[in-house]
Amino acid sequence: MVLGAGLATSATAADNPPGATRLPPAADGKIHFDTDIKPILAAHCVQCHGPAKQRGGLRLDTGAHAQEGGNSGPVIVAGRSAESPLIQALVGQEPYQRMPPGEGKQLPAEDIGKLRAWIDQGAPWGSAISIVETTVEKSQHWSFQPIQRPAVPAGTNPQARIHNPIDQFILARLEREKIAPAPPADKATLLRRVALDLTGLPPTPAELDAFLNDDSPQAFEKVVDRLLASPHYGERWGRHWLDAARYADSDGYEKDTGRPFAWRYRDWVIAAFNADMPFDQFTIEQLAGDLLPNATLQQKIATGFHRNTLTNKEGGVDQEEFRVAAVVDRVNTTGSVWLGLTLGCAQCHDHKYDPISQREFYQLFAFFNADQEVDIAAPLPGEAERLEKQLADFNAEKAQLEAAIQEAKEKNLPATELKKRETALANHLKKAPRGSQAPTIALGPPRKTYVMPRGDFLRRGVEVTPNTPAVLPPIRRSAGASGPLTRLDLARWLVAPDNPLTARVIVNWVWGKFFGRGLVATPEDFGTQGEKPSHPELLDWLASEFRAPSGAATGEGGVSPAAAWSLKRLHKLIVMSATYQQSSVVRPELRQRDPLNVLLARQQRLRLEAELLRDRALAVSGLLNLTVGGPSIRPPQPPGISELTYANSAKWIESTGPEKYKRGLYIWFQRTSPYPMLMTFDAPDSNVCVVRRERSNTPLQALTLLNDAVFVEAAQALGRRILTEYPNATDCDRLRALFRLSLSRNPEPVEVDRLTKLLQTFRHLATDNGAQAEKLLGPHKPQNVPPAEAAAWVAVARTLLNLDEFVTRD
Amino acid sequence: MPPTAEYLQQSRRNFLATSANGVGLLALASLLQSDGLLRAAAPADRRPQPHFPPKAKNCICIYLEGAPSQIDLFDPKPKLNELHGQKLPESLTKNVRFAFIQKETATILGCKRKFFKRGQCGMELSDLLPHLGTVADDICLIRSMHTEAFNHHPGQLLMNTGSTMFGRPSMGSWLNYGLGSESQNLPGYVVLTAGRGTSGGTSNWGSGFLPSSYAGVLFRNSGDPVLNLSNPAGLSDAMQSATIEAVRDLNGIRHATIADPEINSRIAAYELAYKMQSAAPELIDLSKEDKKTLDAYGIDRPEPDIKAHRGGGKGQFRAFATNCLLARRLVERGVRFVSLFHASWDHHSNLDVELPHNCLMADQPVATLIKDLKQRGLLDETLVLWLSEFGRTPLGENRNGNPNVTGRDHHPFCFSIWAAGGGIKGGQVIGQTDDIGWGIEEDPIHINDLHATILHLFGLDHTKLTYKFQGRDFRLTDVGGKVVQKMLA
Repeated sequence: MVLGAGLATSATAADNPPGATRLPPAADGKIHFDTDIKPILAAHCVQCHGPAKQRGGLRLDTGAHAQEGGNSGPVIVAGRSAESPLIQALVGQEPYQRMPPGEGKQLPAEDIGKLRAWIDQGAPWGSAISIVETTVEKSQHWSFQPIQRPAVPAGTNPQARIHNPIDQFILARLEREKIAPAPPADKATLLRRVALDLTGLPPTPAELDAFLNDDSPQAFEKVVDRLLASPHYGERWGRHWLDAARYADSDGYEKDTGRPFAWRYRDWVIAAFNADMPFDQFTIEQLAGDLLPNATLQQKIATGFHRNTLTNKEGGVDQEEFRVAAVVDRVNTTGSVWLGLTLGCAQCHDHKYDPISQREFYQLFAFFNADQEVDIAAPLPGEAERLEKQLADFNAEKAQLEAAIQEAKEKNLPATELKKRETALANHLKKAPRGSQAPTIALGPPRKTYVMPRGDFLRRGVEVTPNTPAVLPPIRRSAGASGPLTRLDLARWLVAPDNPLTARVIVNWVWGKFFGRGLVATPEDFGTQGEKPSHPELLDWLASEFRAPSGAATGEGGVSPAAAWSLKRLHKLIVMSATYQQSSVVRPELRQRDPLNVLLARQQRLRLEAELLRDRALAVSGLLNLTVGGPSIRPPQPPGISELTYANSAKWIESTGPEKYKRGLYIWFQRTSPYPMLMTFDAPDSNVCVVRRERSNTPLQALTLLNDAVFVEAAQALGRRILTEYPNATDCDRLRALFRLSLSRNPEPVEVDRLTKLLQTFRHLATDNGAQAEKLLGPHKPQNVPPAEAAAWVAVARTLLNLDEFVTRD
Repeated sequence: MPPTAEYLQQSRRNFLATSANGVGLLALASLLQSDGLLRAAAPADRRPQPHFPPKAKNCICIYLEGAPSQIDLFDPKPKLNELHGQKLPESLTKNVRFAFIQKETATILGCKRKFFKRGQCGMELSDLLPHLGTVADDICLIRSMHTEAFNHHPGQLLMNTGSTMFGRPSMGSWLNYGLGSESQNLPGYVVLTAGRGTSGGTSNWGSGFLPSSYAGVLFRNSGDPVLNLSNPAGLSDAMQSATIEAVRDLNGIRHATIADPEINSRIAAYELAYKMQSAAPELIDLSKEDKKTLDAYGIDRPEPDIKAHRGGGKGQFRAFATNCLLARRLVERGVRFVSLFHASWDHHSNLDVELPHNCLMADQPVATLIKDLKQRGLLDETLVLWLSEFGRTPLGENRNGNPNVTGRDHHPFCFSIWAAGGGIKGGQVIGQTDDIGWGIEEDPIHINDLHATILHLFGLDHTKLTYKFQGRDFRLTDVGGKVVQKMLA
């Protein structure tokens, strides 16, 4: 244990009965700081408790610091050396580990005696300045260095496909490795790729034909602009952000109570992406929208970002414990999402690898510590008027009921009559009209923050005030402000021009979504334990281009005029690059040299996210409801899922009508019994922030795509669609149409042949069992088609929805 | 992970995918599951291999949600009857947080149970557990468990995942991650439930930050045993088989141009799914079990009426007994980790009525399970656990000052669990609590210690079984854990 870090936990205390450690006696005579004490501290203490390192939050190099003590509090009790933790630690008295640690490092009894005498004599300090002349060594770690805009490398190959500077950076590296990039993807693949990446929806056959027939040089850019302008762009990218925001529709923990208005924040996110809200503003509104001058309703709703933490309403819990847990999560999430730092490691002790001390963790904690969870009135468009009318009616009736009670009292009516009227009023009051709300964060009364030794909320170390880690550029107070730093200052600091992390972290996060792997392969960890960037110059070029676009880039590869912190512009820059547009066909000759495709000599095939799989099936079958925004939906789920919640409390009342066909990101997320299909396909469990999803490939996924009610219904609707939209077509034409609808490309002859054979097989099997065939059609029975024929088409459609290509973005 | 190690893993997977025989498929399944690892920088030498020769191959974890009263089942405290109605000295309760007890007026609640010495070892067990008494010589009873959680959900998370935080992998996920699955056509981690929903819900068997393929797969003991296992209505087995074939052929055509090994993995996943479609119904079909076995587990026992709903309502006797039998069948089929949950044993009130009811439900099937495993030669390699999140107070619960005290509150300082088989030294009691069952006097064992011991039985060093997430190497035992040598045979 580090001096200053405090008590052992009670559980282990039982194993280590307190040793009866004897203290060496205090030295006799007058002690002089400069000659007696300073040499001891300098030789034995300040290496770990000095300007360079402050283990346990303790510095012993200046009088002020020494007096202040460590994270657990003062270490010197002037006049009482035996009670001073400094002395107790030097002999290893419980609960302290002996200091200095290590074999043979023990201080001679004589030195301890001098220190004791010095403390007993009042612990006077000779001078205010540090006793050591060490200058703090600045961290050399790459991600803490300022972002410098690198020069774009000039290539040597005049034939190289270069759409914009991204390609120059990628090609420069490939040229060094003597690897040629892959050829461009074919047009159908490219269209499918960019549509899925930007909106999450597959292109329709009409969009496919339009693009295939457009030979103009701007054909692709037109598609990109259309997709970026689509309201479904906000849904696609909003969902990525919701992973980071650990969005869910319930509290978590035992009671796991529903959060009926959590979706207001989700709608805010979708709208912000669609409006291309600059990322600095996007940051500030979510972290501190409530603190902006004259904050609007939307800015307050934005603070819902940090309302997605868990809430434990289990009977008998210590509320403070879970309040602290939520604040800790807010610190950690802010660290992961914006800074790419694993701050959580410093909750219990100084970070083992990165220059973040435990005290700094609690300084960040202090920014959020006085926050309160507040549900505010947040009327929807048109709701205010409606509510006003309802309220007027309610109040009128209330007045009548009150008058009736008054009357009963005045006229001395029988007690039973009075009771009846009072009950009527009480029942009426329960029906008070309530408007829509939104969960937000608001600043509560000031609350002091202390370091929590070992992260234990029951323990109180030294007091700290809001501040940011010293390894990063200092935080600035808003002009004219006084008092402690605020969340608003913190948010502004995150997007300040000299912050080296945020821009890098965000462009890397974005890059990972387009290539399956970030330029830094650990998007959540830019610290010393994270991966180094594969293309550091490209990362910095993108970061500076994102934060402060250069005019020079304008016009290159169709980059639109500069807009600082524009995500849409960043997306466009990436998807317009030749690098993005390469074929994703695996190159066996590179398997040995670049098995993970780090060098990007091709694009990467990616299994679609859970929500997108469902969207795609519903889209191609014509069932998808494209309404953007609104409350969460509960599509059909297998029985026995919500029964797993605490005492079966989270009832799953299925959405009806078109609601149930809304996109996957609108599915109600119940933390203790999530919608099974989402979990089977690696959706995050929403308990902590996730900036990169896993992509597994399992038999349960196969069972879901084959047999889950939603996918079966999509196959039924798709089968019917083919029969009704192509009433007099040949098998071959229908199969081609089915293929184009499902996979957004034209089939190869060999694929048509195989499907023809399959169709024949299904026809035989369905005809042999006519009574069953009808059942396979479900609610999507086409008119005037024999059930066996219709069933065969449903079965073929279902096969297509199960192909690898259907679940993959190529 | 260095690129070369990742590549090795990839090429091994390709090999297995293309040699799609049974053995290949099973190894493939666990490799496929480790897909996420390819990107997540795991230690380079990680293979689904134990660190040293294991004793246990499978685990059946019986989890009695809610905290059964150890005082009334496992840890006799005659002193409580002497002190019944008296207050505890303030020094004991001063810094203690209770869920519901009002400290000022709380008094000791005596115990109505009788305890008997059972087996050759003379283990003292409550009259509520007569059947369990017949296997006392196989079980290792621990009376000195302790935890820091005193609320259900955090407590359950700690026992099942090693941390009170939401979102960590459960024991079964860690074991499958560490050792892979040995079942040809069933998942490596199967969960069965009875009673009402648990506080923790699916987080008790979740895979946390491990890839979702390591999560427990919930089986039902009747109807469709696995979600989406049945073909859609109207789709015959012949049609399903034609579908799987066509998926394989069309994916194969695609692979010829795209060359992505992931396509082969998907082909294999579909074939395994197809196998599961027949294997899982076969699993829950008990028609081939003889009547003697069914009776021994007590599948068709009469279930007494009870007003309380805490145990889940009518039908739990059959459900729980069936789950115990299914656990044996799962282990026979190579499933690595079987979790049986029953909720709830949270007897804040009505203890003397509801605890006997739950015990009547659980005692016979659990004891039979141990005998059945033993008779089939499976007990030596199957670890059977009886767990819960904490214990119950020797003080009666007087919630909101209610004078009508009929139950006990949550007690984290000491509680009892037991283990049997799989390398456990049976016929012994570990640990001792004080006269009133308040604290531990001998051999305190933390949940992290229990987990370290469980992993040890499976040949895994708990400090080496790690997974990197958010920049940190996580373990089942978090930052604690010591193997409890006394538990080992």
